[in-house]
Amino acid sequence: MLAVQIKAEQEIAPLISSKKLFIFECLGCRDVHYPVEEAERFIAGLKEGVVGKASLDYLCHREFTHEYIKAYASEIEKAQVILVFSCGVGAQVVSSLLEDKIVYTCCDTLYLNGFQGLTVQEFDCDQCGECYLNYTGGLCPIARCSKHLLNGPCGGSQDGKCEVESDIPCVWQQIVDRLAKLGQLDTLERLGTAKNWNVSPVS
Amino acid sequence: MDYTKFRLKPDQEIREVFERVNQIFILSCGKCYKKFEEEDGEEYARLLDIVGEDHRKIAGHAMIDFLCNDFLSTRRISDLDLSHFDSVGVVSCGLGVQFLAKLLEGTPVYALADSVPHSVNYPPEVAYHGISLEEENCAACGQCYLNLTGGICPITNCAKGLLNGPCGGATDGKCEVDSSVDCAWVRIHERLRKRGEQFASEYVQLRDYSAPSWKLRSDLSLQNQALRGEGFYGGFHPLDKKEATADKQIEDFAEPQIAVIFLSQHVGRRSQPSVEVGDKVRVGQKIGEADGFVSSAIHSSISGKVIAIEARTYPAAPRKELAIVVENDGKSELDPLIQPREDFEGLPKETLLEIVKESGIVGLGGAMFPTNVKFSPPKAVDTLIVNGCECEPYLNADNRIMIEHPEEILTGIRIVQNILGVEKVFVGVEDNKPEAMAALKRLSDRSPSVELVSLKTKYPQGAERALIRAILDREVPPPPKGLPFDVGVMVSNVSTLLAIYQAVVKGVPLFQRVITVSGEGLTRSGNYMVKIGTPLKDIMQYCFDKNVDRILEEYDVRMGGPVMGIPQASLDSSVIKGTTGLTVLRKFPVQASEERDCIRCGRCVEVCPMQLYPLFYGFYGKKGDLGKAMEYRVEECVECGCCEYICASKIALLSFIRQEKAYARSANKG
Repeated sequence: MLAVQIKAEQEIAPLISSKKLFIFECLGCRDVHYPVEEAERFIAGLKEGVVGKASLDYLCHREFTHEYIKAYASEIEKAQVILVFSCGVGAQVVSSLLEDKIVYTCCDTLYLNGFQGLTVQEFDCDQCGECYLNYTGGLCPIARCSKHLLNGPCGGSQDGKCEVESDIPCVWQQIVDRLAKLGQLDTLERLGTAKNWNVSPVS
Repeated sequence: MDYTKFRLKPDQEIREVFERVNQIFILSCGKCYKKFEEEDGEEYARLLDIVGEDHRKIAGHAMIDFLCNDFLSTRRISDLDLSHFDSVGVVSCGLGVQFLAKLLEGTPVYALADSVPHSVNYPPEVAYHGISLEEENCAACGQCYLNLTGGICPITNCAKGLLNGPCGGATDGKCEVDSSVDCAWVRIHERLRKRGEQFASEYVQLRDYSAPSWKLRSDLSLQNQALRGEGFYGGFHPLDKKEATADKQIEDFAEPQIAVIFLSQHVGRRSQPSVEVGDKVRVGQKIGEADGFVSSAIHSSISGKVIAIEARTYPAAPRKELAIVVENDGKSELDPLIQPREDFEGLPKETLLEIVKESGIVGLGGAMFPTNVKFSPPKAVDTLIVNGCECEPYLNADNRIMIEHPEEILTGIRIVQNILGVEKVFVGVEDNKPEAMAALKRLSDRSPSVELVSLKTKYPQGAERALIRAILDREVPPPPKGLPFDVGVMVSNVSTLLAIYQAVVKGVPLFQRVITVSGEGLTRSGNYMVKIGTPLKDIMQYCFDKNVDRILEEYDVRMGGPVMGIPQASLDSSVIKGTTGLTVLRKFPVQASEERDCIRCGRCVEVCPMQLYPLFYGFYGKKGDLGKAMEYRVEECVECGCCEYICASKIALLSFIRQEKAYARSANKG
């Protein structure tokens, strides 16, 4: 459930020079963001090295990927290197299913706001395990403050914009504005307990 | 694996929230990324427990599936009256809370749950999973290290997120942070050794924590959100694969030796044969009479002798249907009744409708609804929309018709304007068909009432409702009751308009149509004018240029496009009026299966243009609880196939939906 961009050719070229290649391409989240044409150009540039290619949906789905690996067994056998076009999850699944093969990914994975929930949108949630939204007017300082500050603004913002990048709105400015509007500025006084960063695993 | 994103906050915190409120409305999310089960609402029950006496302050409770889907949830919430509560409590992950805090700006919104980090190990930062429920995680760091580390991510798997080798604290391959966890660097080392590789730390770049930039991320996010809502909600952007046949001129396909002409090539009652075995028939001669109001006439597409009237394999459904089988005499004799009309411009509406009816014209976009019935709406319409979208991948039949026959389409439009008494006409064409646009533009410039509209390419743009929403921003009431004429619109396909032109101006009834044959493995893909009744085998034989007896072992042949097209179990059937094309695709090594479980990833909800929640159709369909789907408005489904196409578990949603719709129809009757 992630977006990818294609790595620079210089990064991949030394890894695969004069090697026989098999390509796995994941199209499952293509509608989210997968640069199809760029990937095609990249693959076209590999030309004779490619002994086979499988395009499928949801490479991260271990069961499907396993079936595909069986279906393309003879081509994969011939290949010295498996190239994966997918997010980091897909690349890791292929790598773990083909433990004896060299598996390289051609993509860097980008994260889109809100996608951890379900829907790409302006909000984001870092799943910190200890929700602060009740004290911050429903605006998350962990996901949206460049410095992840929890106890108020850093003081560096100007005209409501972050000092790290002027495109970024200062979320602490927004928090104060929102709380003032709700008549809840007093909730800020409740902040200040140390956050428990000790994330716990999900069973 | 269960990636449920949230759990209730500690009791004390929840009680504190309740101390501060008077009347609170509770909204809980139906959860995502967990095996679909039917035990919703356990959190709410626990919440009631925790607050004890304070439960009197709860003024209402609603469960909304995929609360973070801002578009759908906004609509669901607007149906609830939240005005007389002083606050809203939310049981969901942080996304749902933030979305509600913005939506209900003047109302305090309280989080009653904490989101749960779902990484399996102890990663130093947030990690994200793919669409499926697997153990692998990705930090989406934008600078992938997997090529150096044997495909095991040190960022998400090493407790310390080390990038340049182990910390040295591991004992017996176990992490010093937690002895039940494998040291990621030991695993990396072992995997690399297995592959004859070595970790080369000199290649490790310093990690750029400012990348990917906030701007890039937020631009991509907004872009993605905009795509979903472009023109109409939902849909997706398939690889259209149209280039294979987009430039191929329409060719006449050879007349078949034997034509198998079905008596049911339309919605409604099967036609009654008006010929008998042994009769001689000519091209265009009527051989089947409409049986009742919603039915249609059938014409012979070749000249020759009727050799049988019997049940044959039908392409549109898995059953046999009655067909008239004609043997070609090779003479191509035209029915003498076929005469061009000079004076068609002055013909009254009733005469035009009669011609359309007698010519056996039905909706050629695939729906096959009798056109004369459709053009006699019970309510007045003010707008005609001509559908030139052809949003199914691979197909180019409509595209080529627009390029090669724009004059005829325009005349067809004039005829339909007369029938409907409509002034305003829009022609909607997707922007992946520039040549068709240009051809129509040259003509529409001369006709002030016809407006050409370029639409974004997105499936299913060609679905009536999507088209009406995109062009006129009118919302057709939900099916099965609501139809375009309810909002004053009539939609007609370009192929149908060409058929109307042929019938009215040339006097030629509907016995042939343009189809696209495209896909994989074909040596002669193209756009062909094919006689109705041409056996699919003849077409495949020609387009593969080899014996096709065993072709279905290797390929899937679909009547129509790859998304909505109907898979053919054999090549024994023949072309009917609703055949928009034949798509041939290599069989997937992995077949769609009904056995895989839904994991509530919500992709189907994201793409459904009817704004439904298709996952429930699969879930209850599989359980055999067909009636339950009605609670989730299954009757409103237009069977566009988006949900099945996108489904990460490859659940055969469409077949469940069809069963459930049939059940709903009979339940409504009974």
